[in-house]
Amino acid sequence: MDQKTRNELLKLFKSKLNEAMRLYLETCTRCGVCTEACHVYASTGQVKHIAAYRSEIIRRLYKKYFKIRGKLWPSLSESKELTDVALEELFEAAYSCTGCRRCMVYCPFGIDTQMLMSIAKLLLIGANTEPEILTLLADTSVEKGKSIDLFKEGFLQGIKNLEKEVVKKWKAEAGDSVIPVDVMGADILYVALAGAHSIIPAAAIFNAAGENWTLSFFEAVNFGAFVGDPTKTKLILDRIINEALRLKVKEVCICECGTAFRVMKQLSGKQPFKVSSITEVHARYFKEGRIKIDPGKFNTAITYHDPCQLARNAGVMDEPRYILSQMTKDFRDMTPDPTYNWCCGGGGGLVALGDETIDFRMKSARVKADQVKKTEARILATACENCHSQLSDLNDHYKMNVEVKFLSSMIADALVSE
Amino acid sequence: MSDDIKVDKSLDLKGLACPMPVVKVSKGIKEVEIGQVIAAVTTDPGSLTDFPAWAKTSGNEILKSEQDGNEITFYIQRKS
Repeated sequence: MDQKTRNELLKLFKSKLNEAMRLYLETCTRCGVCTEACHVYASTGQVKHIAAYRSEIIRRLYKKYFKIRGKLWPSLSESKELTDVALEELFEAAYSCTGCRRCMVYCPFGIDTQMLMSIAKLLLIGANTEPEILTLLADTSVEKGKSIDLFKEGFLQGIKNLEKEVVKKWKAEAGDSVIPVDVMGADILYVALAGAHSIIPAAAIFNAAGENWTLSFFEAVNFGAFVGDPTKTKLILDRIINEALRLKVKEVCICECGTAFRVMKQLSGKQPFKVSSITEVHARYFKEGRIKIDPGKFNTAITYHDPCQLARNAGVMDEPRYILSQMTKDFRDMTPDPTYNWCCGGGGGLVALGDETIDFRMKSARVKADQVKKTEARILATACENCHSQLSDLNDHYKMNVEVKFLSSMIADALVSE
Repeated sequence: MSDDIKVDKSLDLKGLACPMPVVKVSKGIKEVEIGQVIAAVTTDPGSLTDFPAWAKTSGNEILKSEQDGNEITFYIQRKS
């Protein structure tokens, strides 16, 4: 690596050094409490997957370039030079961490490994060594925000084609718009994913609840966040914020996508609308008696996987359990509880990397498969696309003998009028 | 399938979870030569906005798209 490149990367490093980041970089005492907290270490036993080890890769660079002691006495302060080899270590650390933050709840100082890994991801972008596909996906989302008027007509036709499927799940009255789009003054702007499975059940439930809703033109997922690019993360987020402001909606409801919800909830700033996950909205409909379901529809043991970005990182833990308590008499919670629940192993962009990461994803999530098997449930419900994909792969790989289902699909399939 | 376009590779992307249609089309386009065409079939309504934006970003060209019920076929020519 030449000096010019190194200087550019160090500028990026410096841009991440806010007060919280400096605290995380300076407080690790190597107590080792985080050792067993990482699902990757717990599943593989490899030291390089201990949270403190990952963080130390960043910390040593920090000491070298941002601390006097590291600059003057590098060998005494365990500092390390930023080289091409260091970049390879950063890649391995960042893209074997799913950002689940389980280590953070164990750490006595609350050190946020995901936040430290965001430095690694930014340096990789600066060096053009990040996973190319994640950047392409982020760029595609940004482009969609710029050119949406060119694509609207095709999208509207595609949505129209789904209406029959929605009506099969919930009847529509004459004159109703089955999947409303671009409704000024709607109470809820629903932000889905690209797939029909993210739109059809949600539409049926909104219609059953008599909701005044409208579907977003944009997909909820934020690939800028996966790749760790703050500029693209904001551009992708702003598309939805601007649509919500233009339509003057009261609430933005994010589909079953953990990262999308966390990013919208925590990074959208003060806005004149509320941000909710679809799971929170569905729990509200049950509590207000706005939807009814056949409680005998799923006559089997059900367990629930807490998506890390929805539960541990955004606090949505009680709502899915409340919903499932309406749907089965045999709900079996996993152990440990939601705060300490094991990650599925698919977060941080790993599922989006597809076949490239499948071996790692399977090996690193053995503890998750064991946790699911112990419940002996036959349905494994979840509320995140990423988790659903990864859990389906784990189900095949570890023969978990469950049916992996989206919570919203289960509700939509069980809807009754009285 | 379109009669007026010669297809060099076909991709079945029906029913895939997010973001696999775009991931697979990105990989698939690299498996044909520049100037050749892939036909990608999806069932994602979001692909009607995702694919044109992806084509613009990646420098490829959508020659044509057809909708038949819930199935959408994109004919994409590799340009770079």
